[in-house]
Amino acid sequence: MNSIKRNLRFRLPGSGITVALALILSIQPATAADYEASSTTYLHVFEREQALGDDLQYAPLYEYLSLDLWEVTRPEWSLHLYGWGRVDLGDEIDNGSGGALSSAYANYNHPVGNGQARVGRFFLSEGTATETVDGVFLKGSARAGFGAALFGGSPVENSITADDEGDSVAGGRVSYSLPGVAEVGLSYLTEDGDFSGDDREEMGGDLWFRPGEGLEILGRGLYNVSTSALASYRLTARISAGNSLDLGVGGEGYRYGDLFQSALNSAFGFSTLDPDDEVTTVFADLDWRLSDDSTLQAGIRNVSHEKSDPGDASRAELGLRFLAGGFLDGAGLSAAVQSADLPENEYSQLRCYVMTSLGNWKFTVDALAQSYELPINGEDSAIQVVGSAGRSFGKGLRVSGDIRYTESPNFDEDLAVLLRAEVGL
Amino acid sequence: MRSQGMSQMRIGICVLLLVAGLLTAAGCAALSKKESVPARHPEELGTGWANCLECHEDENSGALKPYGSFVHTSVFLRQHGLYSSRDQNLCASCHRVDFCQTCHAADEELKPGIRQGNRPDLAMPHRGDYLVQHQIDGRVDPGSCVGCHGRRNNDKCAVCH
Repeated sequence: MNSIKRNLRFRLPGSGITVALALILSIQPATAADYEASSTTYLHVFEREQALGDDLQYAPLYEYLSLDLWEVTRPEWSLHLYGWGRVDLGDEIDNGSGGALSSAYANYNHPVGNGQARVGRFFLSEGTATETVDGVFLKGSARAGFGAALFGGSPVENSITADDEGDSVAGGRVSYSLPGVAEVGLSYLTEDGDFSGDDREEMGGDLWFRPGEGLEILGRGLYNVSTSALASYRLTARISAGNSLDLGVGGEGYRYGDLFQSALNSAFGFSTLDPDDEVTTVFADLDWRLSDDSTLQAGIRNVSHEKSDPGDASRAELGLRFLAGGFLDGAGLSAAVQSADLPENEYSQLRCYVMTSLGNWKFTVDALAQSYELPINGEDSAIQVVGSAGRSFGKGLRVSGDIRYTESPNFDEDLAVLLRAEVGL
Repeated sequence: MRSQGMSQMRIGICVLLLVAGLLTAAGCAALSKKESVPARHPEELGTGWANCLECHEDENSGALKPYGSFVHTSVFLRQHGLYSSRDQNLCASCHRVDFCQTCHAADEELKPGIRQGNRPDLAMPHRGDYLVQHQIDGRVDPGSCVGCHGRRNNDKCAVCH
């Protein structure tokens, strides 16, 4: 596994990422106001028992850095660099250190037509693609309402088996928009690699349709070309009334053998999963703003399996979220119940949180309790309480600490601490 | 074999860059004259769930959709992928990309719920001892995991599976 991680972190194939890094290192921002930089340091202290031997005392120290340079040489250009690293101050988690370059890219935003170009390592959400890529991305909308996006490069992945990582990925999306009324898109993605099965090849279709004020129809389908089948779909009708009511009703579904094909989603190739099984979910979610300070949230969903029987289930959730003034910054209370045809899938859940301020100090408490119908590891409930206190020192520095207490089927009693220092420039 | 594949990939990427440059030059001339989504939101925003309608009444010229579509209700959050896969540039106007990568990361160790332990108001996944809860969610609806763990950031799955 370690070799896989090294492969991910240091695979810099003389491509866009090198160009982006060179630009970031060589170009100076025009003025001090043209950059944003931040550092967030986390020290996570926790203990884990071992079946044999002494308990392990972990204390990983994480450093997350971000740098955004705006209006580089021209207003349309910007450079972005994000990454994190870890050193273990206690027992080693993974050879004592770790880290990843999450993004490093140059971005061009054309003033009109949503023209956009990215080169380097970037996160991409376009049509059927949700990827991190070392490469190039281009997008724009033409005058007649047609739009196109194109990307290609080397995929940045971290998969459980080395041969499930691809060597190159390319794809794009074409779309047609009627402003304010509709947008339809067709997308394609192909990824080559030494996969254990077929290569990754998928097509997607998406829809946004607004037949009238207060109603939107959203949809997306993913067709797995390698298995010649519709792998997944989602269709949602979203009904809203001004700024106060938002209701989403819809359904989604997928077939195991097509969605969990090794080249698509390699983590789910369990032998216990029936590839012929199909899952269908219907759902309804409500967000109702009762007043300026309070919102009611409710949701129900039913999940059913076509072929095998790992358990159909229905889940209902109801919550209240407050945004209060004065010393109370916010609060929330929610309850959820899941009923199922198999008792091991039944549980209920309660959660509440409170956020408050006192001068430069902020305090939060978050409590989550779950009760399982069938005991897990001999325990039928779990609880976690997180208390946090933090203080701001001007606009640029904030220090906070969380204490997390857990009782669960995994832990009789577990206490963990997270210290956090956030610096912004 | 591997080095040959790498050089082929480099050649491919160079060709792609060239094609991209040509397409960019040609594409800029054909672009719509509608104003693009700004790279940065012009006003500093608060830390809560965004309500675009507090300031905007009209349609976003870049996304060609009403601002009301992007109000961050719990309904929007559940469907946010359907919007971001069309209008990622609009998301990026307010959210840095590393915000997306809090969950959709290629390689990440700190759970979103732990990193944001001081922000219980955020709809971060995996609050509580999710290692227990995932046994149920994974049995009932394994497809709900693939958005973040399907092809990436799944090496911890191998510990048990």
